[in-house]
Amino acid sequence: MSSVTIRGVRKKYGAMDVLHGIDLEIRDREFVVLVGPSGCGKSTLLRMIAGLESISAGDILIGDRVVNDVPAKARDIAMVFQNYALYPHMSVYENMSFSLRLKRMTKDVIDRKVREAAEILNLSKFLDRSPRQLSGGQRQRVAMGRALVRDAQVFLFDEPLSNLDAKLRVVMRTEIKALHQRLQTTSVYVTHDQIEAMTMADRIVVMNAGRIEQIGTPLELYDTPANLFVADFIGSPSMNFLRGTLDNGGLRLADGTLLPLEKVGRGTLGQKVVFGIRPEHLVLSEDSRNLAAEVEVVEPTGANIQVYAKVAGSPLCAVFTERHDFRPGQRIMLSWDYERSHLFDDATGQRL
Amino acid sequence: MTSKTTRSILYWAILSPLMVVILFPFGVMFVTAVRPRAELFTYPPTWGFSEFRWENFSEMWVKTNFGGALLNSLYVSISATVVALVLSIPAAYAMSRYRFAGKGAYRTFLLMTQMMSPIVLVLGLFRLMMALGLVNDLNSLVLTYAAFNMAFTIWMLQSYFNSIPRDLEEAAWMDGASHLTSLVRIFLPLAVPAMVVTAIFTFINSWNEFVLALTMMRSSEDFTLPVQIYAQVAGRYQVEWHHVMAATVLATVPVAIVFSWLQRYLIRGMALGAVK
Ligand SMILES: Nc1ncnc2c1ncn2[C@@H]1O[C@H](COP(=O)(O)OP(=O)(O)OP(=O)(O)O)[C@@H](O)[C@H]1O
Ligand SMILES: [Mg+2]
Repeated sequence: MSSVTIRGVRKKYGAMDVLHGIDLEIRDREFVVLVGPSGCGKSTLLRMIAGLESISAGDILIGDRVVNDVPAKARDIAMVFQNYALYPHMSVYENMSFSLRLKRMTKDVIDRKVREAAEILNLSKFLDRSPRQLSGGQRQRVAMGRALVRDAQVFLFDEPLSNLDAKLRVVMRTEIKALHQRLQTTSVYVTHDQIEAMTMADRIVVMNAGRIEQIGTPLELYDTPANLFVADFIGSPSMNFLRGTLDNGGLRLADGTLLPLEKVGRGTLGQKVVFGIRPEHLVLSEDSRNLAAEVEVVEPTGANIQVYAKVAGSPLCAVFTERHDFRPGQRIMLSWDYERSHLFDDATGQRL
Repeated sequence: MTSKTTRSILYWAILSPLMVVILFPFGVMFVTAVRPRAELFTYPPTWGFSEFRWENFSEMWVKTNFGGALLNSLYVSISATVVALVLSIPAAYAMSRYRFAGKGAYRTFLLMTQMMSPIVLVLGLFRLMMALGLVNDLNSLVLTYAAFNMAFTIWMLQSYFNSIPRDLEEAAWMDGASHLTSLVRIFLPLAVPAMVVTAIFTFINSWNEFVLALTMMRSSEDFTLPVQIYAQVAGRYQVEWHHVMAATVLATVPVAIVFSWLQRYLIRGMALGAVK
C-alpha cells in the first residue's frame, strides 16, 4: 500500500490539451473517487497513473518514487477495466492466477491466493468456467479477483460498474466498499455517477474539462460546493439555481420579485449572483413573504415526493418526505434555512 | 409440404446452374481418371466406363514422377506460408497498434500491389532471380509466393487484430507481463483464427500457382505439381489423358478435403474469439 502524488500533470494528444495541470495527493489507504462528466479526462488521468498513457508534463509519484518513466508492468498497480478485459481463452482460475504465474510463484502459493480471493468474491464455484460462461456481475467479480490476488500497492478502477444493471450496481458498490474497508489498499475509482462517488469515497475529486473543480469529502462537497459546477454536479435531483442581482434586503430576480436574503454581506450590492438551494432543503411555509411557486409535475417515489414547479419564470424542484397532496397548478409557498442556501458569483461561478 | 422444404427446394433450384458449372469439370476429371485407356475418346461421350481402374493412379505416379512434384509443391507451399505469416504478423501488429508516419500510404501501397498480376512482373522477377542466382531453385518460388501473398495477409490480419480489444494487452501489462509475454500468451492465442485463415489462403495460392513456377523452374525434377501436370500435356505427340486426370485428382482432392475439415475448426475458432 502506498500513497500517490500527482504534481502539475498535463496531457496533450497532438495539439489538443486534455488535462491542464492536475495536482492531487492521494493518501495511503485512502479511497479516492474521480468524478466528472463524460470526456473530462478521468480515464486519461487514471491511465497515466497506471502507466498506460505517457505523461506530457508534471510528475506522478507512487510512494516516494517518481514513476514517469516506469513501465506499467513495473509499477505494482492493479487495475479493473470498464469492460473487465478478462482473457477470453483462459478459465477464471487462469485469469486470476496469470499475474502470479508471471511472478513464478509456486503452485501451492498461487492456489492458496486464488482460492482465498475466490472465497472473498463468491467465485469458488466458477473457477473452472471460461469468462463467456459468466454473467456480467460474475465477470466483474473475476476482474476484481484478478486485482485482488496481487497485493498491489494501488488499485485503479475505471467505471467498473457501468456495464451492470441498476440493482447489481448498488450491490457491487457496497461490496467494493466493504472490500476496501477490509484490505485498506489505496484506491482510485473513476465514475461519472455522482451517487457512486458520494457513497464510496473517502474523498471525491470533481473534474471538468481537464481541470479539478474541487477536492473534498462527500459531505464537504455537498455542504459547501466551491463553485456552480460542483453545486450542480453533486446531489440528485440537482440543486436549484435562481439568477438575480443583489439589492437592498435581498436578491432581485429577473421578473422583479425580491427574494429576502438574511446575509447579503456575502456579496456586494448590485452584483449579479446565482442563488442555490437543494430540493431537499426546501420546506412548505404559510408565510406569504416567502417564495411563491406554481406546481407543474408531481412525482411520488414512495420514500418522498418530488415536485417540479415554476418560480419567477424559472424551473425549480422540491423534495418532501412528508406526504402532501399536491396538484398541478396549485400555488405553494416555500422557505428554507439560510444556512443551507448557497450564493455564487454569476460571472466566475465561484462561491461567495 | 412445409414452407421450409419448399424454400429449400427453391434455393437449390436457383443454385443448381452454378453447381453444374462447378461440378462438371470435376465429374469429367473423375470419370476420365478411372477409365481404361481405350475408352478415353468414346463418341458420343458418356459418363460410364467398363472397368474402374485404380491402376491408372499407380501407373501415373511412376510415369509422371508425381511423388517428386508433390514433395516440391509441399515444400514450396508450406515454406511460403510460414515465411508470409512470420513476416506479416509483426507488420499487421504494428499497423494495428502503433501510430507512425506514412501508415495510410503504406496500406494503400499494399492494396495497389494486389492490382498487378504476377504475369506482368514475371520478366522482372526472372531477372531478379537470375541476379540472386536462384533460378532453378525452389526457394525462388518460396520468396515470390510469400511476397505476393503478404499484402493480403497483412490486410486480413490487421483487420482481425483491430477487433482484439487493446484492454486485454493492457490488462496483461498491468498484471506484470512484458510486451513480448503479452503478445505470446494473450494476443497471439486470440489471433489464431485469423492466422489459420491467412495460412490457408497463402497455402492454396502457392499450391495452385503456375506462371511463376513455369518460368523459374527449368529442370523437371524441380517442377511443382501444376507445372508437372502441364508437362504431361504440353508439346506431347500423345497425351495420356487418364494419367493427367488421375494426377489432377490427386493434386486437388486431398487438399480440398483437408481444408474443408480445417474450415470447421476455423468457425469454432472464430466463435471462441468473441470477446465481451
Ligand atoms: N487517444 C486519444 N487521442 C486523442 N484524444 C483522446 C484520446 N483519448 C482520449 N482523448 C480525448 O481526451 C478527452 C478525455 O478522455 P477520457 O477518456 O479521459 O474521458 P473520460 O472522462 O474518461 O470520459 P468517459 O466518462 O466518457 O469515460 C476526451 O475529450 C477524448 O476525446
Ligand atoms: Mg472514461
